[in-house]
Amino acid sequence: MVENHSREDHETGGENKEKRPKFFINDHVDILIEILECLDGRSLCVAASVCRLWCTIARNDSLWENLCFRHVSPPPSSVRSVVLALGGYKRLYTGCVRPVRSRLGRVRRATWAGDEVQLSLSLFCVDYYERLGGSNSNGRLVEKSSPSSLMFLCKPVNV
Amino acid sequence: MLRYDSTSSSAGSSSGSLSSSSSSSKPPQQDIDGLLAGAGYKVRSSELRQVAQRLERLETAMGNSPADFSQLASDAILYNPSDLACWVDSLLTEFAEPPPTCSSDFIVDPVNNQTVVNSAWTTAEPHTPQVHQNITYDEQQSLDNQLTVVTAMEEDSGIRLVHMLMTCAECVQSGDLSLATSLIGDMQGLLTHVNTVCGIGKVAGHFIDALSRRIFQGMGGGSVNGGSAFENEILHHHFYEACPYLKFAHFTANQAILEAFDGHDCVHVVDFNLMHGLQWPALIQALALRPGGPPLLRLTGIGPPSPDGRDSLREIGLRLAELARSVNVRFAFRGVAASRLEDVKPWMLQVNPKEAVAVNSIMQLHRLLGSEQTRNSPIDTVLSWIRGLNPKIMTVVEQEANHNQPGFLDRFTEALYYYSTMFDSLEACRVQPEKALAEIYIQREIGNVVSCEGSARVERHEPLAKWRRRLSGAGFRALHLGSNAFKQASMLLTLFSAEGYSVEENEGCLSLGWHSRPLIAASAWQAVPAWDNRMSSS
Repeated sequence: MVENHSREDHETGGENKEKRPKFFINDHVDILIEILECLDGRSLCVAASVCRLWCTIARNDSLWENLCFRHVSPPPSSVRSVVLALGGYKRLYTGCVRPVRSRLGRVRRATWAGDEVQLSLSLFCVDYYERLGGSNSNGRLVEKSSPSSLMFLCKPVNV
Repeated sequence: MLRYDSTSSSAGSSSGSLSSSSSSSKPPQQDIDGLLAGAGYKVRSSELRQVAQRLERLETAMGNSPADFSQLASDAILYNPSDLACWVDSLLTEFAEPPPTCSSDFIVDPVNNQTVVNSAWTTAEPHTPQVHQNITYDEQQSLDNQLTVVTAMEEDSGIRLVHMLMTCAECVQSGDLSLATSLIGDMQGLLTHVNTVCGIGKVAGHFIDALSRRIFQGMGGGSVNGGSAFENEILHHHFYEACPYLKFAHFTANQAILEAFDGHDCVHVVDFNLMHGLQWPALIQALALRPGGPPLLRLTGIGPPSPDGRDSLREIGLRLAELARSVNVRFAFRGVAASRLEDVKPWMLQVNPKEAVAVNSIMQLHRLLGSEQTRNSPIDTVLSWIRGLNPKIMTVVEQEANHNQPGFLDRFTEALYYYSTMFDSLEACRVQPEKALAEIYIQREIGNVVSCEGSARVERHEPLAKWRRRLSGAGFRALHLGSNAFKQASMLLTLFSAEGYSVEENEGCLSLGWHSRPLIAASAWQAVPAWDNRMSSS
């Protein structure tokens, strides 16, 4: 059994014609991407640990863009350049959209869906601005101990 | 150390030893319960219930720690038992904490009360069986019981602190500084019995400091505003992070400014207090994403001059410019350094007649108010040149409190309630370094409200109703903030997952409060055209 498998792995697609075609997801990256697009944030991070190919794909910002606007009407095209300038969709999602959604989700107001992303974006922008301050300043005390405006979104750590 | 059964004849009259912690300078003979007086006790009728509760607590405490019991019998200072309230308190203190700092004001009572004391102790004993079991548990349990005694007493001490604070403020107002000074001493003593990490103890501590500064250092209060501009910025930043008030202010003002700028291609924002410029990234981003593309944005930031040659205004401007460049918004910044807002003249702002102007004042206008209502007070001057700029919108955010009353006691009372509420809301903050520095920020405000007068007192908060009258009288009309601002504010508050914050809408103005006590109010205004000429406005 093992021998058969190893032989099949060595063979290229062309020589496989006579045998039963074996479907290997990594050969079909477009399908893989479509599947990954359906995942939620946590699963996407887990998927990034599967193999190098999945990791590369999962890092692709467009997957995270999808996550951000999943249940929301598609945003105007100008949003993308702004988000990319401020740090990218993955950062926006993990830093802002996800905690914002989970906290507001407890209140369950359907009308807020689109505004959640907008609010997340504003908070994301303030955070980018604060990060700018940390890297630019010379000798200012605020460098490392500067409070992050997104800290209130972090869950408290139970020590 | 004197024993209660000593034959010392220096007993003196007990009325002279009436504990100064009972905060009253009234003669002690009033209002004494007649029945107990017949038995030899002096207890005020109004305090009967409290004394009974404290006796109960004392009984529990004695039961919990019989070891202290015997120590108490042999080598404690006992106080005048006929003043039952103080006597019980002092014993309770000894059970809750070791008694190192006993005031020597208490005078030993003569022998005739000895039997009374004994019976009080003997009646306590039959009740110990149920609490005896606690002693066999591990230490933690008995510690908890002691703690419950302490917290019950704390509540009481907390209430006493508040009463003493009021009394002290009244003395200050009437000029009775000697009594005020002694009250300060007593309050500081009482503070040791109260948890100063949270709750009333913490706020009281700050108010006691402010009062003592007022009494001992006069009303210049220079030390309160002694913080450098740099320090103030850091404290302000931490206050921004620790609680939602400033975030609410920024986001609400930005929403109003964004809506006012709709359709304009050249816009100019004048910020009365730039600090770290934390308000503006969100506006820049919102302008970048507005349908139709971003306008040319000019920002003029007013701030105090930096002492050590650093141009902090320019640094903030550079940071904002970099952000604007990243998101493709044409941006220009100008800094105006002025130590007081009234020193700013409109020509410094270089407003272009073709641009839409927004004036943004987050907790700055109240600094212009003086206590005297003169004709050309700074507030009138500033409001009139703001009108002269003809801004599309003026966003005003102010503390919702009445801290500019002429009477000191009224001001003090209002400040005590306002800042207690604010500290309560701060309890909900979990992020530790921010919280401590945010508290220092608030503490400075308290110090200014309480211990300064004249031009040194800049924290002259007035409630929204007063601002409405003032601004309407100066030629402005209110703009409604709109449902988008309300929705955004509600969402923002929900993110601060502390139950207790509430947003309210009040005739087009939004206010953020803690448990329905509004603490900060945001409003938007527009200049009424042709006000001075009394022509019919368009």
